[in-house]
This record gives sequence, C-alpha cells and structure tokens, in this order.
Amino acid sequence: MSEKRAPGDHVYATMRIILACATGILQFGLCLHPLLAQEYRHLWLAVAAFIALACVTAVCCGWVLRRKPLPVALVVAGTAVVLAASLCATAAIAPDRRFQASDWSLGLVGWHLLLLLLDRVRVLITVLAAHLMTSMGLFLSAGVPDRAVLGAAGATAFGAVNVQLAVVVITRVLHRQTHVAMAVAEEQDRLVTRVLTAQQWERGQRILFADQLGSTLSLLAGLADGELDPRDSDTQRRCALAATQLRRLFAENDDVPDPLVHEVTACVDAAERRGVDVSFAISGAAVPVPSQARHELTGPVVAALSAARSRARVSMLRTDEEVRIAVVADACADLVVESTGRVGVEYGVYGEYLRLEARWRKQRS
Amino acid sequence: MAQAAELSAVIVDDHPAVRAGVAQWLVTGTPPIQVAASGDDVRVAWAGEGAIADVVILDLHLGGPTPAMSELRRLAEAGRRVVVYSMRADDEIALQCLELGALSYLTKAEGAEHLLEAAVAAASGRAYTPPSLAGALAGDRSAGRPALSARETEVLVEWFQSESKDFVGQRLGISPRTVNTHLEHIRVKYAMIGREAPTKAALLARAIQDGLVQVDDL
Repeated sequence: MSEKRAPGDHVYATMRIILACATGILQFGLCLHPLLAQEYRHLWLAVAAFIALACVTAVCCGWVLRRKPLPVALVVAGTAVVLAASLCATAAIAPDRRFQASDWSLGLVGWHLLLLLLDRVRVLITVLAAHLMTSMGLFLSAGVPDRAVLGAAGATAFGAVNVQLAVVVITRVLHRQTHVAMAVAEEQDRLVTRVLTAQQWERGQRILFADQLGSTLSLLAGLADGELDPRDSDTQRRCALAATQLRRLFAENDDVPDPLVHEVTACVDAAERRGVDVSFAISGAAVPVPSQARHELTGPVVAALSAARSRARVSMLRTDEEVRIAVVADACADLVVESTGRVGVEYGVYGEYLRLEARWRKQRS
Repeated sequence: MAQAAELSAVIVDDHPAVRAGVAQWLVTGTPPIQVAASGDDVRVAWAGEGAIADVVILDLHLGGPTPAMSELRRLAEAGRRVVVYSMRADDEIALQCLELGALSYLTKAEGAEHLLEAAVAAASGRAYTPPSLAGALAGDRSAGRPALSARETEVLVEWFQSESKDFVGQRLGISPRTVNTHLEHIRVKYAMIGREAPTKAALLARAIQDGLVQVDDL
C-alpha cells in the first residue's frame, strides 16, 4: 500500500491547509464575537475552551503547512483536547441557550475534528457522532424543550455537520480520482520505458546482425562480381559456412523451451540440406546456458559441420555441471576455432575424420 | 558356432512396418536370427514359438499411454533376454530398463547394425551398449549409480560422440576390443546394483566366465 499513499497524501495535505485556514477564519471571524458578547455561567471556562481550540489549530499548522501528515500522538491528543474544549464550552453556557447562536463551539469543534481526522473517516464520523450526542444529551438534560426549539436545535446541528461531511466526501472523491490519474500516468511511463527498451533492443539486434552478416555480404558481393568461382571448393565451403551461420542466427532469437538444442538442430538442418548425412544424439535434460556461452558453444559446431563432406555425428552431453557438444565429421579442412574464457574447444584430425568438442562448465557461485 | 544358426527372436512392436523391417534385418544378418513370432502385443512372447525364442525385441510404446515397463519386468523376471527398441531417447527410461534387467536399450534412430549386435549379444546372455545408451550412462547422476573409473567414463563419452569403436580406440590409444571390454565391464557394474533379475545374474555369470570380472571382485 505504501506506494499508493503518495497521491492520497498529496490530496490530504492540500485539504488540510485549506481546513486549517478555514478553521482559523471561522474561529476568529465567526466565534470570537459570540464569545465576547454572550453571558456565561462560567466565562473563564468558555475562554479556556476557545484558547485550547485555537492552540490545537496552531499546533496542527506546524505539520500542515509543511504538507506532512499529522503524527498519531498529535491526532489522539488533539482529538481529546477538542472534545474536552467542546464539553467545557457547552457547560459554560446556560442549558437553555445551547444549540443557539451563543453555542459557538457546536459547529467549530466539527472543523477541528475534520482537520485532525481527515484521513481517518470512520474515526472522524464516530467522534463527530459522539460530539453531537454529547451536546444533544447536555441540551436535553435541562428538560424536554418544546417542539419549535427542538426543531431549531436539530436544524443547527444538521447544518453544522452537513458541510463537514460534504468536505469529507469531496476529499474522498478527489483522493480516488488522483489515484486513478496517477495510475494512468505510471502506466504511460511504463509504456514509454518499454518502447525505449524495445527500440534499444532493435538497434542492438541490427548491429549484431550486421556484424554477423559481415562475412556473408562480402561472399555474396564476390559471387555477384564474378571474383569468386562457385565451382571452387573453397568458395563452396565458405558458402556452406555462411548458410549454417545464417541458419543459426535465425534460430538464435527464437523463443523455445530448449534454445541450445534448437540452435544445434538448425545447424544440423543446414548441413542436411547440403546433403550431409548427420546423426544427432542428445543425452541429459535441458540446462540453462547463458546466451553468450551458447553462442560460443555452437560457433565451433557451425564451423565443423560446414566442413563435413558426407557424414557427421553431432552429440550433446548435458549434466548439471557441464555441456559438451562434439562433432565427428569426414572432413580434413583446417578449422580456425579458438577456446574462449567460458568455452573450451578441442580439435583434432584423425585420418579422414575431424573431431571437435566444445565444452562449457557451469561456474559454481 | 554351430548353434548360431539356431538363434531365434520374437518381435513385439505395434507397427507392422517396424516388425517387418526388424524381421528382415534379423533374418539377413550375420549370424541370421530366425523370427519365431511377432505381434503388437507382448502375449506373443509368452505363447507358442515366442515363449522359447532366445531374444525378445520389445518396443516400449505399444499404443498405450505409458511405457510397457511392467511387461518388461515380467519378461526379465522370467529370465527372458530382452532388447528394448524404443522410439524415444529418454535417458531415465533407458536406465530404468537396465535396472529392470533389459540387456540393451536402443533407439529407433540407431539402425540395423546396432540392433543385430544387440540381439546376438542378448542371445548369449551378454549386454550390448549402443551409443545412445552410452550417453545415458555417461550422464547418469543418480544416487545409486556404480562408481566408474575415469577411463570407463571416457570410453562411454567417446563412444556416444563418435559411434565408432575404431575411432574411440584411435582417440584413447587402445584397441576396439579393449573398448568393448570396458563397455561390458561398465554393464557388469550396473548389473550388480539395484534390484535382482535372472538376466542380471546371468550377465554376471557370463562376465566371470569371460574373465571380465573375478569372483573376488564381487
């Protein structure tokens, strides 16, 4: 939930600033006059309540103006102070004047509670209800008033709470809409990133393909210009090599469950199309091989298979620790194959057969 | 070998073309092997001429959803010499077949030459290890596998990679006959582990008789 709080915090912070200002203006603009003009049973109690409420707003401003959420301790203490102030203010005036103009605390307390409990709607409603009930209880404790007074009191209470509930609803709606807007914006950001990644991958593939097509392009150019003779055995071998390399290149990027077997099968297929009789055997289950190591494993296979004249045996031995791919073919061409850091290549000529083995060992981490 | 001409086999395979092809290979091989019976159900190996044939050539996939392992087990328990001839090159199943007492496991990609050698070897109670099975044994990492020497592992890998015993001999500086000895020795080691089967016991007896292993080694 933590990442989803960000947009909500933004809405709540703004609403709290508005509420802090509204509370201050209401307290000093609308309630100061009744406080001074009315007669009280205990004036000091009413003044103390007024000051306590003003202090709560002032303390809240310390966090609110910095757009920070209110600490739980402040919320609890503030709510207690506000409710106590409300009781004091109500107790200060004569029971028959409650729920009238002189009862300035009735509506004001609601704004304080709203400021404190804006993001805790259930608690807010419970506390507001408790506040109303208590005020109502105190009002009724003085004796059952007549119907007109009761109606006026109900209207006052309803009017005070109504605006505050409206603020809660507006905040909730804003919060939800901000949430949706932020989600859409995030999705758009993700899409942009994906597009950028795809473009980068495509550029990478283009460079890679151009790199690997290098020898093929010069070969095609040589054939087209007549510089190379297709009847020449060396040209034929270069063509076989280029064809096998291309076939592997196409297979390299396929999304298949066993990419290594897929790639070697592609090389075998290219050799079979040339009329070479290839037997291909696999022992062991698929093991994950990093794509670079896979490339280095199949490179020598391409070279050996393209040199094969009529028969070749390709074998793949896989265990959890290593992968060994061997080619035994009737060819005596000199191959240029080199071991790399990851893949060791062993190559030898035995009579009319060449044997080549590429071996990759899984590095223990 | 006067009795060589009397070798007989029963072929169990659900494809008539495979049965006909295998029969043709066996009859025209050297030494020729007579086909006592053939059919798409393992019952042909238990009745009539099939019940007394020297070798059972068994396809593991007889149309059912699972390999015919229980049929193989029953045949091996009865002391029948079975050569499994399967469409699939599945290492685990190959090793299971050896465990149950099959004398050889061949894939259908391996042709007449290996099948004939396997059938002749099985007829005399010997094991035969074709290249694909050598690959399965070389890659065997199961807990109960026998300990093979470095040279034996080399022979398995080279035989799997080249399919030529001459080539293996050339690579390792040994004679093709020694290659065979190593392969048979490996199979004796495998026969000595796991469940008991009359064919495995016969294989051991045969190995002692051939001087491949000493009684003290057991």
